[in-house]
Amino acid sequence: MAAYLIVALTSLLAYLFAVKRLGRRPSDLPGALARIADAVGTGLVFALVNLAAAGGLVLGLRALTGRFVSLYPLDDGVWLVVSMLQGWLWRLWRDSRSSQVAS
Amino acid sequence: MIGVRPLGIATLAVFFLAAFTPLPVRLYDLLAVPARIGPADAIVVLAGGGVLSGGELSDTSRRRTALGIDLYRDGLAPLLVLSGAVGWRSESTARAALAGKCGVPDAAVIARTAGHTTHEEAATLAPLLRARGVRRLLLVTDASHMRRARRLLEDAGFDVLPAPVRVMDAPRQPGERIRLFHETLRESLALLYYGVAGYR
Repeated sequence: MAAYLIVALTSLLAYLFAVKRLGRRPSDLPGALARIADAVGTGLVFALVNLAAAGGLVLGLRALTGRFVSLYPLDDGVWLVVSMLQGWLWRLWRDSRSSQVAS
Repeated sequence: MIGVRPLGIATLAVFFLAAFTPLPVRLYDLLAVPARIGPADAIVVLAGGGVLSGGELSDTSRRRTALGIDLYRDGLAPLLVLSGAVGWRSESTARAALAGKCGVPDAAVIARTAGHTTHEEAATLAPLLRARGVRRLLLVTDASHMRRARRLLEDAGFDVLPAPVRVMDAPRQPGERIRLFHETLRESLALLYYGVAGYR
């Protein structure tokens, strides 16, 4: 648990670096956190859709072919990571389009 | 996209609760079935994890088999039923070999490959156990898997005494708590699926 204090420390250092050296405004930070929440939420939607589609495919193949197809490949953390990347990319793409429209 | 932000906040909250609080342990304990060890007609060890490429049992399979052998050696039942998943190598045969090395006589062991799923396993084992006159059995499987497996065998008419194997003890690292949370979530979904599929 104490090891995670390192994360708190590097976060503080990054904050100070961004404010002092890069000229970022602290008031922009809540907006950045909100965008992270958006990306994670979108990633979760992708995860649910991916797992529902894969589960449906497996159960459908079982019903159609009468052969056993395992659900275990769905029990893999990589699904979540890939889905989060999908969600993150989706948000970046969507936000870049919004900023182009705004400019 | 309205609505994903609260979802994201909730996801992050669940992640931090799962990683840094005792929540996963509490949830796991809700799902897990406590042990009720006593004399029975048979000890039934459910399949788990199969056999590795080198021919040895997986950790899960070995843990379950070891508990089954211990119960047999404690004299709790005269019959040790070692189930195994369908695979390229027989898990049940590897388990029977381990039981033999631990001094369990061949005559007391039934090794049976019993399908791909818990449902198939129960359906395969039930007639076999009935034919042997088994009415009360000690069921060995992971603590989280016990609820689903016990229901199936109780529905088949057996009096089931749970002999659960715990996956881990009181996780101390965030990664271990996440693993426990994942296992609890997976087994909860499996229970839900079994309910919807009408296996219960």
